[in-house]
Amino acid sequence: MSIWEKLMSIPREVIMALVFIAILIPALNPLGLPLMVGSMSQAWYDTVDNMPAGSIVLFDIGYGSGGYPSLGPGNIAAFHQMFENDLRIVMMATDLEGSMMYPLIMAGVKPESNYGAVYGEDYVFLGYIAGTQTAMAGVLGDLHALASADYQGTSLSSLPLAAEVGGAEDFDIVAYMTTAGGTAEGWVYQAYSQYDRPILGGCLSMMTTSIKPYYDSGQMLGLMDGIKGAADLEFLTGHAGDAIISSDILSFTQTLVLIFILIGNVAFWMQKGGGK
Amino acid sequence: MVSMDPQIWIAAFLTLAATSYAFRDNKAFKFAENTFIGVAAGHQIVMGVKNIRDYGWSHLMQGEMIYIVVFLLGVMLYARYHKEYYWLYRYPIAFLVGNGVGISIRAGIHSDFTLQIAETASPLIASTAMGSINNIITFVGVITALSHFIFTYEGMHKDTLGWGPKIGRWMILLALGASFGNTVMTRFGMYQGRVIFLLREWLQIIA
Amino acid sequence: MDYRRDIPLAITFLVGIIAVLDYYTTFESVTNTFTVIKNWGVVLQAFALGLGAVNLFRVHGKRVSERTREDWMFSGWLLLMLVLFVVVGLGTGQYDASTQYAWIYNALYMPLGATMYSSLAFYMAYGSYKVLRARNFEAALLFITAVLVIIGNTPIFPATFPVFFNIREWIFGPIVSGAYRGIRIGVGIGAVVLGIKTLVGLETGYLGRW
Repeated sequence: MSIWEKLMSIPREVIMALVFIAILIPALNPLGLPLMVGSMSQAWYDTVDNMPAGSIVLFDIGYGSGGYPSLGPGNIAAFHQMFENDLRIVMMATDLEGSMMYPLIMAGVKPESNYGAVYGEDYVFLGYIAGTQTAMAGVLGDLHALASADYQGTSLSSLPLAAEVGGAEDFDIVAYMTTAGGTAEGWVYQAYSQYDRPILGGCLSMMTTSIKPYYDSGQMLGLMDGIKGAADLEFLTGHAGDAIISSDILSFTQTLVLIFILIGNVAFWMQKGGGK
Repeated sequence: MVSMDPQIWIAAFLTLAATSYAFRDNKAFKFAENTFIGVAAGHQIVMGVKNIRDYGWSHLMQGEMIYIVVFLLGVMLYARYHKEYYWLYRYPIAFLVGNGVGISIRAGIHSDFTLQIAETASPLIASTAMGSINNIITFVGVITALSHFIFTYEGMHKDTLGWGPKIGRWMILLALGASFGNTVMTRFGMYQGRVIFLLREWLQIIA
Repeated sequence: MDYRRDIPLAITFLVGIIAVLDYYTTFESVTNTFTVIKNWGVVLQAFALGLGAVNLFRVHGKRVSERTREDWMFSGWLLLMLVLFVVVGLGTGQYDASTQYAWIYNALYMPLGATMYSSLAFYMAYGSYKVLRARNFEAALLFITAVLVIIGNTPIFPATFPVFFNIREWIFGPIVSGAYRGIRIGVGIGAVVLGIKTLVGLETGYLGRW
């Protein structure tokens, strides 16, 4: 077996082990590299920053345990900015696990102690509503015809913020973070297309390419692009968290991937050239 | 100082068991996999029952007796498992499909078609040379990518006309490469969260 | 009239057409009817959530009762976990808002959900090594942008040479926007055509077996 053939057949276990080590090293010894903020995350930040105090945001926690490592930190940073800017948030979940993400996010934001926010007046959580686009259309069409209580069973009429909002016209902006393409498209269809509500979206990086046409055509005002976008939001809002920590891990792991790609291609072409 | 919280230990064990599949299939992974399927299905039932209570039963209790029909339709969904009366599930499915299709296609024409075309039809010449080049590349990309998917007209992929779909294919490949690059970041971005959990919450060796 | 086929098709058409009319018209009767349909849709979707569990009971329950397969004990464990979540979730009366449910969710579901999807990272690395080759011109096109985007996404490179960040941003500008807008238009047309076919009864796959 030539050296090139050997380089093209490195055992899977070796690759996997090297990847695991590449994740461990920067986690134990962070590099603290500077961040370059992407234009779409900057647009998200600027949009929220320019919203007048008291504006009402409809926020969809459209992800679960699978998306939490990427989107959770961004969600926390986004909420920090919204509470800092005195925005009021009506939260809902179109993902089955979204309601389980809510306490984790709130534990990171601590709105009561950090911003003096009051549940029911400054923010409300409706819980998981089945049906994705049906749920979106229901909330935006006539919230009180659909739901009578919040996530914990408290009557919506006893919660001032929930009592104030009837439908789409009462929301100043719709924001979501999701791992589902259907949810990302659904909000564009239901909130922007039907009710002309501006939208901020957050999704996994691998979904960015397919969601970007909505951002380019002005149907979305900002797009948080996965873990990179989450790190950008943490940086812009000044609330460093797990996304910024992950930047160092990404430096090591993706450099390793690039090295593997280089080895594979060099070995392939050298072997091909030697075989002629 | 390692965590003494049993919840953290269970989570750490399951994390490592699920990760072990990357090296080879093994019983620990099978255990984790079957646990995952079971808890996911259980969670679905819990959320389903809660939604039925909050958005169905609550309406019934408020006197909207028509919701009896909804409950009946919901139960009919489970007729699909019956040998003889399986066809009963078609009624609620028809409702769900009609609702889903109607809700999505009505706005799809506007968002996915009209507005995308309007954006493409904007001026090619921008205030800067680079801006103009970018607009031209975008315009060419849209037209050629669309032409790549035309299969009903045979001549589209032949001779001179065939250059359009060919360039479209190249543009799509370039874009798919970008998508692949982002996918690599997505997966690593997800897994780093688990490693941070293991080091911070379980082994408590990082802050 | 075949009540097993024609009535469901009629239901699909009626419900769908009301949804479409709600978007294009402002008649109060249509809006009110569609509000009812939406609310019913949420409840029906909630009922549909149990279908997966029923299927799991059928498949894995059979494996446990027959005990012919080597891994029948895993099936038993699967059903036990399912029942555990249901009992804790429904037993407390607070569903997902209860602390006990949150405990078992964070112990069992959260780590598994997060790890199952993310462990593909290892396969991404291995796949990149084995498959991402510039074998020919077209493969090289995909290869070039993939490598440039990975470099742009790797913080150490833009931090050292900012041009890599600008290249990544540019690729996501005209290149991705152009191609994916074309794909989005095509997908949009396809979805609308399929939707119309479904509403008028030309597409009946959702009705299942005859």
